Amino acid sequence: MLHKRIHIKVFLLAAFSFLSVSLFAEATIAEGKSLFKANCAQCHAKDMKSKLTGPALGGVEERWSDYPREDLYSWVRNSQKMISEGHPRAVELWNEWTPTVMNNFPNLTDEQIDGMLLYINDAYVNGGKKKGGDGEVVVGTDKSDDGSNSMFYVFLLAILGLLAVILARIVSNLNHMADEKEGKAVGRRATLVEQLLSPKVIGFVLFALILIGGYTTVNNAIDLGRQQGYAPEQPIKFSHVTHAGIQKIDCQYCHDGARRSKHSVIPATNTCMNCHTAVKVGSKYGTGELTKIYASAGWNPNTGKYFEDNVSYEAKEEEYKKWIKENFVAAKPEASDKSIDAEVTNQWNAIAGHLGKPIEWTKIHNLPDHAYFNHAQHVAVGKVECQTCHGPVEEMEVVQQYAPLSMGWCINCHRQTNVQFADNPYYDSYEAYHDQLKDVKSGRTGVTVEEIGGLECQKCHY
Amino acid sequence: MKDQHNNIWIGVQDKTNDPAFEEMASQEFYELPIVDSLADDEFVEKSSTNRRDFLKYLGFGTGAAMLAASCDIPVKKAIPYVVKPDSIVPGVATYYASSFVRGGDYCSILVKTREGRPIKIEGNPSSTITQGGTSARAQASVLDLYNTERLKSPAQKVDDKFEKIDWKALDTAIRSKMSAGSNIRIVTNTVLSPSFKAYFQELTNRYPNTKVVTYDPISSAAILRANQESFGDKVLPNYRFDKAQMVVSFDADFLGSWISPVEYAADWVKNRKVDTKNPKMSRLVVVENGMSLTGSNADNRIKVKPSEQASAVVFLYNKVAALVGGTALPEINGSNAVNGSAQEALKELAKELAANKGKSLVVSGSNDTNVQIVINKLNDILSSYGNTISFSGASLQKQGDEGAVKELIREMKSGTVDMVILNGANPVYDLPNSAEFAEAFAKVGTRVSFAETMDETTALCNFLAPDNNILESWGDAEPKRGHYSLIQPTIQPLYDTRQKELSLLMWLSTNEELAVDAGFGDQPYYNILRNYWKANIFPKQSQFISFDSFWDTVLHDGVFHVASEAAPAVFAGDASSAASKINKVSSAEVEINFYETVNMGAGQYAGNPWLQEMPDPVNRTVWGNYLGTNITFNGNNDYKSFKDLNQDSKGNTDLAEVTANSLSAIIPITPTFGQMDNTVSCGLGYGRTVVTSAGKDTGKNLFPMCRYNNDGLIQYWSECEVTKQSEREREFACVQYHHTMGVTGTKEGSEEVINVDEEVLSYQGSLTDRSIIYNAHVDEVGDFVEKLTKKRSHAQYLNKKTLYPGHEDTFKMGHHWAMHIDLNACTGCAACTVACMAENNVPVVGKKEVYRHHEMTWLRIDRYFYGDVNNPNVVYQPMMCQHCDNAPCENVCPVAATNHSSEGLNQMTYNRCIGTRYCANNCPYKVRRFNWLDYTTADIWPANEYPINGEDLPFGADNLTRMVLNPDVTVRSRGVIEKCSFCVQRIQEGKLTAKREGRRLKDNDVKTACQTACPTGAIVFGDRNDKEGMVSKQMESPLNYFALEEINVAPSVMYTAKIHNRNTKMDA
Repeated sequence: MLHKRIHIKVFLLAAFSFLSVSLFAEATIAEGKSLFKANCAQCHAKDMKSKLTGPALGGVEERWSDYPREDLYSWVRNSQKMISEGHPRAVELWNEWTPTVMNNFPNLTDEQIDGMLLYINDAYVNGGKKKGGDGEVVVGTDKSDDGSNSMFYVFLLAILGLLAVILARIVSNLNHMADEKEGKAVGRRATLVEQLLSPKVIGFVLFALILIGGYTTVNNAIDLGRQQGYAPEQPIKFSHVTHAGIQKIDCQYCHDGARRSKHSVIPATNTCMNCHTAVKVGSKYGTGELTKIYASAGWNPNTGKYFEDNVSYEAKEEEYKKWIKENFVAAKPEASDKSIDAEVTNQWNAIAGHLGKPIEWTKIHNLPDHAYFNHAQHVAVGKVECQTCHGPVEEMEVVQQYAPLSMGWCINCHRQTNVQFADNPYYDSYEAYHDQLKDVKSGRTGVTVEEIGGLECQKCHY
Repeated sequence: MKDQHNNIWIGVQDKTNDPAFEEMASQEFYELPIVDSLADDEFVEKSSTNRRDFLKYLGFGTGAAMLAASCDIPVKKAIPYVVKPDSIVPGVATYYASSFVRGGDYCSILVKTREGRPIKIEGNPSSTITQGGTSARAQASVLDLYNTERLKSPAQKVDDKFEKIDWKALDTAIRSKMSAGSNIRIVTNTVLSPSFKAYFQELTNRYPNTKVVTYDPISSAAILRANQESFGDKVLPNYRFDKAQMVVSFDADFLGSWISPVEYAADWVKNRKVDTKNPKMSRLVVVENGMSLTGSNADNRIKVKPSEQASAVVFLYNKVAALVGGTALPEINGSNAVNGSAQEALKELAKELAANKGKSLVVSGSNDTNVQIVINKLNDILSSYGNTISFSGASLQKQGDEGAVKELIREMKSGTVDMVILNGANPVYDLPNSAEFAEAFAKVGTRVSFAETMDETTALCNFLAPDNNILESWGDAEPKRGHYSLIQPTIQPLYDTRQKELSLLMWLSTNEELAVDAGFGDQPYYNILRNYWKANIFPKQSQFISFDSFWDTVLHDGVFHVASEAAPAVFAGDASSAASKINKVSSAEVEINFYETVNMGAGQYAGNPWLQEMPDPVNRTVWGNYLGTNITFNGNNDYKSFKDLNQDSKGNTDLAEVTANSLSAIIPITPTFGQMDNTVSCGLGYGRTVVTSAGKDTGKNLFPMCRYNNDGLIQYWSECEVTKQSEREREFACVQYHHTMGVTGTKEGSEEVINVDEEVLSYQGSLTDRSIIYNAHVDEVGDFVEKLTKKRSHAQYLNKKTLYPGHEDTFKMGHHWAMHIDLNACTGCAACTVACMAENNVPVVGKKEVYRHHEMTWLRIDRYFYGDVNNPNVVYQPMMCQHCDNAPCENVCPVAATNHSSEGLNQMTYNRCIGTRYCANNCPYKVRRFNWLDYTTADIWPANEYPINGEDLPFGADNLTRMVLNPDVTVRSRGVIEKCSFCVQRIQEGKLTAKREGRRLKDNDVKTACQTACPTGAIVFGDRNDKEGMVSKQMESPLNYFALEEINVAPSVMYTAKIHNRNTKMDA
């Protein structure tokens, strides 16, 4: 019967439940994403389409569809075991990728792996585009994609809003008709415009605007000074992919302060020269970028010797121009004289003012002055991997700030991370914790940074 | 034993229960009446802000804030080295052993550098002289490096103005003025460098008419001359205070400023630490008129007028001679030699000296040769030579003789001097006859100065050859015979300066390019120094075979000591003829004595803001010199002040006109306990006129009031007249009454002890019997320990009955930081306060702000008197945040900006602080400081910046001065509270070192700045949970107590009660 009053609330309820379902799926994907980042991203490409240390993961479920899903789970947990057991898909993969061994992840649950697979599929199909701001960590390069997504949602929201208004109108009409039919006294009904301009609606809209505005302001204020995803252009196109990824040079070979100082230290030019006296031609940019190092170091690449103190600027200019020209001609034998001259002038201008001077890198990770951070504490004592905070730098052609470097982010890690308690006699003075660790009944498996005071103000602010 | 700690007082107002003072003491932030400010014409004139300005500021402020918020984050650069030196890791401090030398002042130091810039001076424990201690002067010296007003290039005077020239032009000009017959004079204070002295010799060889004129503004020439006569060796002997059980000082402030105070304090304290099982300690008796730092540490003070000093020495000698055997000397003035009460005390003193024969030491600060000969004779009959005084390792820290200056002035007047080279000396300021010197100086053709900054004498020169700062120079020092010390640069010269040794070398060489030709490279003096040591110092030792290893070791250690035995000293002087020449006692009504202050020296440190702001240890005054006047109490609140000169606790004090030697000066007074009646005393070193801005016009210059005696030696006292002025000093910057805590007094007309807070605030329940200072006589230690234990256990019993029990094991695990301060070892020298300012970026606020109770020091030294009100003893108590484990400041903070760490630290988080100042109000120790203005020049509003001494650019607003900041400590901005952090940056560093090395934390891993600065080892810091650690051991002494233990705040700083060794028989 039409007599029954239909309330707008019902629609709202329905709309909310729809939204929350989609949010739940989103959360699973988000969880999968963070798991993927933590466990897989070192070896498997994020776009799920290209090969890295390990295969591209896009469409992995299809490739394993001939076998029970449990097989895929156990492959993730312990691949070598499956290979030795002679699982056909496992052997096939092993033959393709020998000798690369996949790490074991025995602690991942089925749900977690499902989450990751959801994410992998999502990233493979949608290119990892995000749907709406769910407060999840946003990697800088993804930001440009956000626009189209949110446009879609705004559009959707507008349609839903319009729908709600129409439906409300219909409900109102039906109610009105029902009232008329029952012979109740019916006055003039407010028009749509009148309803929308009623004090109640305006008040509600104002309230909502203030709420949203305040929320946005506070969030933006918190984000002031944060530079996650900051990837400035550097004076030298130094490739971490080449050095840390392909050549597998240890991070601390160059950033040698990390183990003993608060600063990880940008390496001095002479550190570069340890290798680049021999490696004179780069694999990606040829000699153009390396010449900048030679200019800074005061090294003559033609003779393989450092310039003496009394060599004039003009003589150095001549040597560097000769070097630039020879290499350019070697790389492009077909180049015209004009383009050679242009290239030489171009490259020379880039180094002209920098002979014998340090290279001015653009600082990416900037902490505020009142926050004290010490690399040695984390690298040498805490044995934290560089990638935990800096992300997969070995995959970054241009280095970007991976973590938000916000206080909440620091605190979170201090809450979750266990101290290297067992083999450092420094911690012997924490006797009660040691006793609990020995006592199985206590249920203690580790001591977090928080538990030894890692959240206290003056650990970082003094 | 009397109930002693109720008989503690800090000043006159405290003693007399001055209501104004009581009101002030009850307020954490004492607000000066606004009327005072409004009545200040200058203030009104200066404040030009009107309504329109206000609106402009408001509009600009809002706009700027919005702009700042919307702006992009600035792009920062990370610039690495081209070639990184092995020894430098950015972010890790590097220490270099070096020496602090200024005239005769010497301290072996370690220079802490960060990223190539020196930021802190630490003591060098390898030194046999300073033994790891430092002085306030050494601590503050790092700031001089970054002085923006240093002379920045060589210059020549053209038309009364200095014009910049280059070094080559200067060298050519100077060389052209030198010829074989030139009369060249080098005017210098004591020079400790053997290699530099070798150049003086070379200069004399090349130009035979060259003379070196060495004088010291605070002269010890009398001791030099007396030792020449008595022992044939014109040198200061090696005083061994560590071997003396009975020390007598006639006006020699050996703990504060006399010759080598860091060394003497470290030695003297060795016999002052008390073992409760076998309580014994040495005795110190000081004979003086005004309270000096040494006098304040003395067990007994005998008050004699300055003019009586000489006859008091003879009087004491005769009394001692009668006891131990020795020819009596002719008495001076017979029975009127010294005042009656002093006579009695000196007789008693003679008995004690005789009983301690071979274990006693008598020193005198007198600059009268005859007096010093009698002192030598006295030490001789007491068998001090060979026991407490020796000539092996004789001190070279004072070599000047002002007789040479007299001769120089005569020569200059007659026009025979062609050239004067000033080596850091400033005779136009610091001679009694400076005007005469200036006049004669003008007649010299070529006047060259090596000064680092402009001074009164340098301003009259026509050539400037500015020296490097000592932190930019190579050099050496021989402060005591056989004790060598190296100086190495820790930074490239900041300006176009050249070290003076090199300048002299350039002028000596006939070949212009000599230094370069000789292959000396870019650090010429390094090679010269090395060659000098190879030829002269290396052969003196047999420990090292190769010079390279010798050099490397000495450069690493900073010091090198060749043990040598001097022949035993045999007294060969004529004491009786000396005694007969001693002047008669003056009959003038009032006498004044002039003393060297701990911070200003003879004025050479006046340009240093840290030292200007360091309170004088005894008077507790800053930014100026003050006239110490007498207060005589007749019991209860009845007192008589000298010439009715008074100071009130509101920051006003009387001005007095002092007339001496037909010169007069108007000086604010500070009534001082222990000052002898009808005598006044005043510090020297103030009133500089040509000096970097921090020192300009602070105080009055009293050098012209000093006189020469018949032998041509400066006498640091005079007859004088004192008249009260009708005007008063309105901005009396004395920290004496700031941040007082728990003042107790006696009720007028009765003996009842009251708590001043309670009386003023008229509420009940606060404590009258506060434990801040305890003291006892060494003979009564047993009784005292019993009483102390009883009192403490009562407090502990009550504390256990707390309503909120059960947090006892919070600090059982990990670290629990604590500090122990031995009040018997603390001499009050204030090296720790300056070290704290340097370490923790504590701002300097200037005189006016100090007057408004706004000083920012994290560590203050409270001075308390006890005992005889007219001749009291003094105890110094370093007071800083006590890091209470039950801290009252923490639970009143509305934003949790101050809270407690699991290691027992009371943490202050500046970025959370919103400046309510509740915490400071609730702090029972009053150690929290609020940034009322932008003292650090950290924010962007120039209106908030405050010049400290009328300088154009506020101190610290330029990037050069900021180089001295410790990069590990946040620079606080306006509007936040700050306080002692127990040097948390050092704690964190020490912990990290231990963790990285995979071992437990040890004692030496964490040392606070105040601890490393202390010359006497009074401060010990460490982990209370480490039962084997030093601090745990120290905290076991039954003489220990916590300040205000009864209020149950559970402080982490423990004090050892002051034990004295006063002989009451000397109190007449």
